Amino acid sequence: MIGNRKRLSSGLSVTSKVFVRSRNGGAQKIVREHYLRDDIPCYSKACKVCHDIIKTDAAGELPRFILSENPSKTKSGLRHYIVVDTNIILHAIDLLENVSCFYDVIVPQTVLEEVKNRSFPIYQRLRGLVKSEDKRFIVFHNEYAEATYITRNKNESINDRNDRAIRKVASWFGTHMKTNHSENDIGIIFICNDADNRQKARAEKIDARSLVEYFDDLPNGEDLRDLIPSDINSGVDFHNENEASFPEYYSNSRIMAGVKNGTLYQGMLNISSYNFLQGTVQVPAFRKPLLIVGSQNLNRAFNSDSVIVELLPKDKWREPSTTIVEESNIGSNDNANDEDEEDVGSAGSGVVSDKERILLAQEALKATSSSAGVQKRLQPTARVVGIMRRSWRYYVGQIAPSSVSSDDTGNASKSCFVILMDKVLPKIRIRTRKAKEFLGQRIVVVVDSWPADSRYPNGHFVRTLGEIESAEAETEALLLEHDVEYRPFSKNVLDCLPEEGDNWVVPDLVNTDDPKLKKRVDLRDKLVCSIDPPNCVDIDDALHAKPLPNGNYEVGVHIADVTHFVKPNTALDQEGASRGTSVYLVDKRIDMLPMLLGTNLCSLKPYVDRFAFSVIWELDDNANIVKVEYMKSVIKSREAFSYERAQTRIDDKSQTDELTESMRILLKLSKKLKQQRLDAGALNLASPEVKVHMDSETSDPNEVEIKKLLETNSLVEEFMLLANISVARKIYDSYPQTAMLRRHAPPPATNFEQLNDMLSVRKPGLSISLESSRALADSLDRCEDPQDPYFNTLLRIMSTRCMMAAEYFSSGSYGYPEFRHYGLAVDIYTHFTSPIRRYCDVVAHRQLAGAIGYENLDLSHRDKNKMETIVKNINRRHRSAQFAGRASIEYYVGQVMKNNEAEHEGYVIKCFNNGIVVLVPKFGIEGLIKLEMLGDVNTAIYDEDKYELKFTDLQGKERRVAVFDKVNVDVKSVKDEVSGNRKAQLLLR
Amino acid sequence: MILSPAERSYLYDSLAQSPPIRPDSRSDHQFRPLEAKTAFLPGSNGSARIRLMDGSECIISVKAKVVLASQESSLIECDIDIAGFRDDSNFVSNLKFYLTNLLLHNFPVRYLKLTSRYAFKLFLDCIVVSHSSYPLSLISLTSYLALKTTRLPLLVSDVNDEEIAEQPTFSDDWDNAKYIDDYLKEGETFEPPIFITLGVIGPNLIIDPSTEEEQVLENGLIISFYNNNVITPISNINLATNSNNSNFKGLNRTLITKGIALGNKYCPAIISALNTLIEQDDEEGTIF
Repeated sequence: MIGNRKRLSSGLSVTSKVFVRSRNGGAQKIVREHYLRDDIPCYSKACKVCHDIIKTDAAGELPRFILSENPSKTKSGLRHYIVVDTNIILHAIDLLENVSCFYDVIVPQTVLEEVKNRSFPIYQRLRGLVKSEDKRFIVFHNEYAEATYITRNKNESINDRNDRAIRKVASWFGTHMKTNHSENDIGIIFICNDADNRQKARAEKIDARSLVEYFDDLPNGEDLRDLIPSDINSGVDFHNENEASFPEYYSNSRIMAGVKNGTLYQGMLNISSYNFLQGTVQVPAFRKPLLIVGSQNLNRAFNSDSVIVELLPKDKWREPSTTIVEESNIGSNDNANDEDEEDVGSAGSGVVSDKERILLAQEALKATSSSAGVQKRLQPTARVVGIMRRSWRYYVGQIAPSSVSSDDTGNASKSCFVILMDKVLPKIRIRTRKAKEFLGQRIVVVVDSWPADSRYPNGHFVRTLGEIESAEAETEALLLEHDVEYRPFSKNVLDCLPEEGDNWVVPDLVNTDDPKLKKRVDLRDKLVCSIDPPNCVDIDDALHAKPLPNGNYEVGVHIADVTHFVKPNTALDQEGASRGTSVYLVDKRIDMLPMLLGTNLCSLKPYVDRFAFSVIWELDDNANIVKVEYMKSVIKSREAFSYERAQTRIDDKSQTDELTESMRILLKLSKKLKQQRLDAGALNLASPEVKVHMDSETSDPNEVEIKKLLETNSLVEEFMLLANISVARKIYDSYPQTAMLRRHAPPPATNFEQLNDMLSVRKPGLSISLESSRALADSLDRCEDPQDPYFNTLLRIMSTRCMMAAEYFSSGSYGYPEFRHYGLAVDIYTHFTSPIRRYCDVVAHRQLAGAIGYENLDLSHRDKNKMETIVKNINRRHRSAQFAGRASIEYYVGQVMKNNEAEHEGYVIKCFNNGIVVLVPKFGIEGLIKLEMLGDVNTAIYDEDKYELKFTDLQGKERRVAVFDKVNVDVKSVKDEVSGNRKAQLLLR
Repeated sequence: MILSPAERSYLYDSLAQSPPIRPDSRSDHQFRPLEAKTAFLPGSNGSARIRLMDGSECIISVKAKVVLASQESSLIECDIDIAGFRDDSNFVSNLKFYLTNLLLHNFPVRYLKLTSRYAFKLFLDCIVVSHSSYPLSLISLTSYLALKTTRLPLLVSDVNDEEIAEQPTFSDDWDNAKYIDDYLKEGETFEPPIFITLGVIGPNLIIDPSTEEEQVLENGLIISFYNNNVITPISNINLATNSNNSNFKGLNRTLITKGIALGNKYCPAIISALNTLIEQDDEEGTIF
């Protein structure tokens, strides 16, 4: 409104914008001054005038001209630049990234900002495109350019205004290109999928086209057409009539108010891995998660979406389903599993006032508190009424064969279903012309939308990974599925590495002007060695020990000095921070930092000088710390041992050299440390860890074994724990608000409820006590079944699943008592010892360097909010790395089993009314056996109190199976033709 | 004392004549000329500034905030700041009381209600940059202009939140913000209440006495006017607050009736003059 421009000086004028900010129910009038300039160039190399108007930026550099003077042509021979509209970027970012189209693209600033507000991940990908320059993307700051800035008209919606601003850019470029370079005629094509906007643009004499129209005019357009996302594929209407109707989501204003007054709850949806129609949402208001049952109540939410839920009336509360439900095959279009059809009407009808809801919430609170007696299994249920943030990403799946009709010929695109690898997600409908070609391949799809009247979400094809069960496709698929960044490091990341590359050596310590180098301590005379798994290339840690004259011992832990190379706020640091951790797959390692650092410059290789961060203790004979020092140092490792070689050398009595002696000291002390830890109540839990042996020649997996632990494993582990604890204390001391720490919360009693209940029913006399980690550890030791030596391990595996996950945090977020690491039974803990493969350790290194006055700590590690972001990301990455690793093992175990069908021992760990879950320790796999495979479905009786399933088996004999039972199972690996996943198929003997 | 005894006597005699002869040759019902500007504070919902010819000047900004109506004792709050006076002085608190009290009782507050729970609360911040005569009518006229030009953002969320709470959301376009006048029913007009000051001298009443006139007045009357009628409160006051007035005496009650008649006769003209002023005020103009 106060839109008049005032000239401040030549080339700069000011205007102001007025708008209302309606946040948290407020209505604030905001006035912003807005400055316009006349020196923003068009960035076209063909332009003759813009070179004269540009000015240097603050760093004294001139803007670079990116757009080619000879851009690509359309079929009709038009050389053109492209101006894109926001909806194109939001829906077709994959196409923009595609190497076969979209060069010389102008992104108006208005578009960039709209993209940023709508989807941050897409915004970042767009920024990546602009930054890399290989596809010649530019951002034109039209909002700051005098020639292209427009003010909002009266009664014009902000979207209309922005559309007009974008059209203004297109028309400005059009005239600019025409007037300023006569020799090669460059046209401007405005691509926009909003028909109305296109029409307006054409009225303004802009060459406006839809994506389809544009591709039709490209020489390679035919191949590209399939990649056009579904929801902007013009003229194509997906949904069948009245196929389904989901309740509409609540309006934002209602959600905000509801969350505030405690009638709606926000939380992360967690779909049960056994029943894709049942999910839980943990909300802070209740102790137990809220149950969400049925597709209507799930209301189009995906697993791990951030959702808003509303409690259902008390008569709809129920026990968690004990039935296994997997999405049935396409074609058998029954939704019989949808148990809540009758709920649908009532859920929507009738207004429930807030007062009633608050009463309901109190009921729910009572029901979820553990003391509730009779109805203790009754759980409050809820339904999804809004989605705050979608977890949509790339999904890997395969086309459902039954959804592609075989008589389908011709080139028209047909819709078909994609079954995702992730079982908890619904199938996705895509439209493609190459459905048949893609059959039997792993393909990547994205979800575009899920309208209320469609039973399935709509998506589009992105690319194919290759044949199902080829190692490359499966590896890439699981990396994608777990959101692991596996692309090679970009150029600007690699630019941060030392120029010398592999030839880098430790500089001369004595004759140097570098004050930091002078602060380094020369520890090259210490007898340092490293002990790692065989063939380890990224050696994070090395150790030394020697007796002191006073009878104590000097022990040093030396950690690779990664932060010497990874400086804060560099591209390298950002890449490391976003990857968060290295990911270890059976046949592959995805590094957090570039190879050069991980396997050479930082790696504490033997026989060469390396920078290290050292922690040196004086320990007395009982491994108590007398004093501790931290220093940046230079070391020279004498030897890199494998666990086995170190063990042999220690055990070999004939070896009496100093290095071996020092390892013996380490071993002796480590045993004492371990005993101290166990006495304090450290847990010894188990997970069925297995290792896959690869055939060294063909690198085919051919054997699976359970990991063995040697004494030397625990030698290294104990000192790493000691270093981590010492460093945690030190950095917490120096940075009480932002120290990077790791905690492990004690498990809530409710987690063990079911397990203890199972124990009391199935193994009377045994129980797990939860008062403290010590009590838990002791009670686990007591839980022995004299007939079954494996029972104790089984119980440990099951207990592990009841535990909370350890997490990184910055010390300001919790009070000191909550820092406790339950599993290790220490009051404070961090990760310091593997900076090559974990970002937490990098931060801990920087904080320790700051704490000992080696260098100033970067602001990002002193700022609470920034630390929060870092912590959140590395927790997430850590988790997905673990899952990816496990999935990789699972895949290879499946491949091994393919050739080794046999009978094995298994244990029942879960019982449902239509199936059981059996764990096979030999392979560390667990599998579901459905009732149909066990015996006669009609005879089955499930005794819920006893966790026992009674049925008549296929031989006609009556059989009972209960939790903890040892059973013999046939293990074989079968491929699920629908999802393409290979999984262990178990058959009860 | 800004006048000598001779001047006082001369001034008294001329004002007590019938008709009174005022030193600036105004007639008894004439206001001093003023200049005004409205809606010039970009960050406020409404604003106005009035400057009198003697250099007195007042600026008022109106800001609206969304509140839970149940938690507020009133939906209008005024704050007055007068150059040269402490905020807790009697002078300032009296003025503040006058203005707040007048607005609280004579304002269509129901139109500030957004939903059953939420309402706009108006905050009037008033600065008297300088003044010579008693500033109440100056403040009051400025508040009239400021309130008239106050715009409230347009509610776009559901109005009915009795049963199910809903957080109010507003159109982000400032151009959609509506004047309070726009919320009123057909036939109603939004004209906030005003105060005028009358000087009592002999048998005469003079509107808007200047500083010099205040020195010789026998009494002062404050009359409030709303909805085309003089309303309560009507009070009398010694307008010459910064000097002792030896002429000051009791009030003849016939003069009250006369004052009310005067108010009823001339206040509509003041209101319509102010309304015309708002109409003629163009947004692009300079601030004097």
